[in-house]
Amino acid sequence: MKLDVNALGTFYRMAREGAGLAAGRLTHMLGVETKVGVTKLNFMRGQEIRRDFEDATEKVGVRVKLTGGIEGYSVVVFERENALRIVETLLAEAGPDADVDANVDELDGFDEMTESAATEVGHIMNSGFIDGWADVLETVIDVSTPEFVEGQTAEPFFGDIDEAPADDDLALLFQSQIETVGTEVGFSHYLFPKRESMSKLLEQLRTSEGIEYDKLDGFDRMAERGAEEVAKTATTLTGIDTSVDIRRLNFVSLEAIPEQVANEKLVGVAFEFDGMPSGYLLFLFDEESAHEIVDAMVPMEVDEDGFGEMGTSAIKELGNIMASGFLDGWANVLDTTIDHSTPEFIHDIGAAAVDPVIIQLGENQDFAFVFDTVVMADGREFDCEVYAIPDESDLERALNNLDVDRIEETPTTAEFQEVDNT
Amino acid sequence: MKTYGTEPGAPTPVQVGISELVVSDGDDTLKSYGLGSCLAIALYDPNTNIGGLAHVMLPDGDTADNSDRKPGKYADTAIRALLRRMVEQGANYTAVEAKIAGGSDMFEFESFGDGVGQRNIAAAKTELEKLGVPLEAEDVGGEYGRTVEFTPGTGTLVVKTSDGDNGVTEL
Repeated sequence: MKLDVNALGTFYRMAREGAGLAAGRLTHMLGVETKVGVTKLNFMRGQEIRRDFEDATEKVGVRVKLTGGIEGYSVVVFERENALRIVETLLAEAGPDADVDANVDELDGFDEMTESAATEVGHIMNSGFIDGWADVLETVIDVSTPEFVEGQTAEPFFGDIDEAPADDDLALLFQSQIETVGTEVGFSHYLFPKRESMSKLLEQLRTSEGIEYDKLDGFDRMAERGAEEVAKTATTLTGIDTSVDIRRLNFVSLEAIPEQVANEKLVGVAFEFDGMPSGYLLFLFDEESAHEIVDAMVPMEVDEDGFGEMGTSAIKELGNIMASGFLDGWANVLDTTIDHSTPEFIHDIGAAAVDPVIIQLGENQDFAFVFDTVVMADGREFDCEVYAIPDESDLERALNNLDVDRIEETPTTAEFQEVDNT
Repeated sequence: MKTYGTEPGAPTPVQVGISELVVSDGDDTLKSYGLGSCLAIALYDPNTNIGGLAHVMLPDGDTADNSDRKPGKYADTAIRALLRRMVEQGANYTAVEAKIAGGSDMFEFESFGDGVGQRNIAAAKTELEKLGVPLEAEDVGGEYGRTVEFTPGTGTLVVKTSDGDNGVTEL
């Protein structure tokens, strides 16, 4: 099974289109404004998907089995409380004649009525996505009757699905967020395609030589090593215990990247890197975290407004060493060398720091692989978002050169730790 | 970011994301967040109150093969698409005026050459001149980000930087 950027681009359009249709139908059904948040194609290992689910919140899902143009499972997952809120809105819309107690606080479980309403909503969402994909692929996808699932872990949602990836298998996930304006009811959507079905689709959509699917393992190893180096460096330099909280490999349209960045003033350090691959690397901190870092790195009391010369140079130094660690991690996996520029400091609205990079890449590509990493500290403020955006053709070449057998020999050492971020 | 469905009287400004353009004929506020090297192009007809905002990313759409599908991505095609849609809604071509903001050069990277922001500004100015649309005001360049809010009804373009209250300019 091989894939290329064109095939992934089509998948991305499917995800967007599907999310748009699903949002439109939710609006129609609930009579509230909805919007589509960030849509991503995610490469995730089974164990990370399971970990995603184990955040102690009760969830409900509606899943359907697909046959035809795509085979596999499509699952819409809501937080339980959100599902109840949607059902409440829906039943309130049904009018005062409906014989329900639509008070969410008193609705502490799903009875037959609310469960069937939730299933209906989930099914309509699923159908929205699926119709969107069928449109993009110009094919027919058949959908089974919906199944209502409830639980706190991934087990009830995916446990009995053969298509769900094993802990070490890399799955391509479609992730979309739809929010109702003002009420913040979001949900996630997962597609688990059958491997053969996926392989057939990729074959159809591929327009270039592409890369072997198995080499994506190299991607994941790069992400892992890079993230691990960043956390290690941060801990050494600041004395603040940090660990990797999130590590994702996303495939997104360039325009979606700045949308993902917090719409507030951030402190960041940016680099361009050169080698195989070349690209851009950004570390972004919220202001509070940046102040903590300056306090930790500059031993004397500094009386500076905002981030003065001392603060700026401390953050640049941290960024510089983190960048070296991150890119060395990559270079190790890819068996190459990657050089990086001197650090550029930025203290501005988050999106403004990202758009120059996507503009530069936008001359030659529409999509990008983004290595998304969040490093956090236990108990203290140290939230760092890392965006590594390599040049697409370079990355394809680098992966093609990659000897898959060699990856197996590179030991995996990164471990996720529970971080108390409250 | 697209919003599906409309609630009457909803005060939320219409968000114009990267590569998008929106035309409006009312008191709607059109908003683009966190422009770095991207450029906000606002066109309006002061007589009919019809106007629009584009959040462009690249200078030259005529040489790109997807500019039909995404006219809002490029400075030249975005200006033409805005004008066309405004005229379709009843604006008078010859009365249309323009304001632009953004186009910073945030980083001095070698790969950036002359600066990605500068290229966008130059492309927008060239296209406006070609079409005979007067550029009434601009707040461009520099090394900082901007958030813009445009009200087509009044033709006011409010530009905010991250400096809080000190960083508000009205064009």
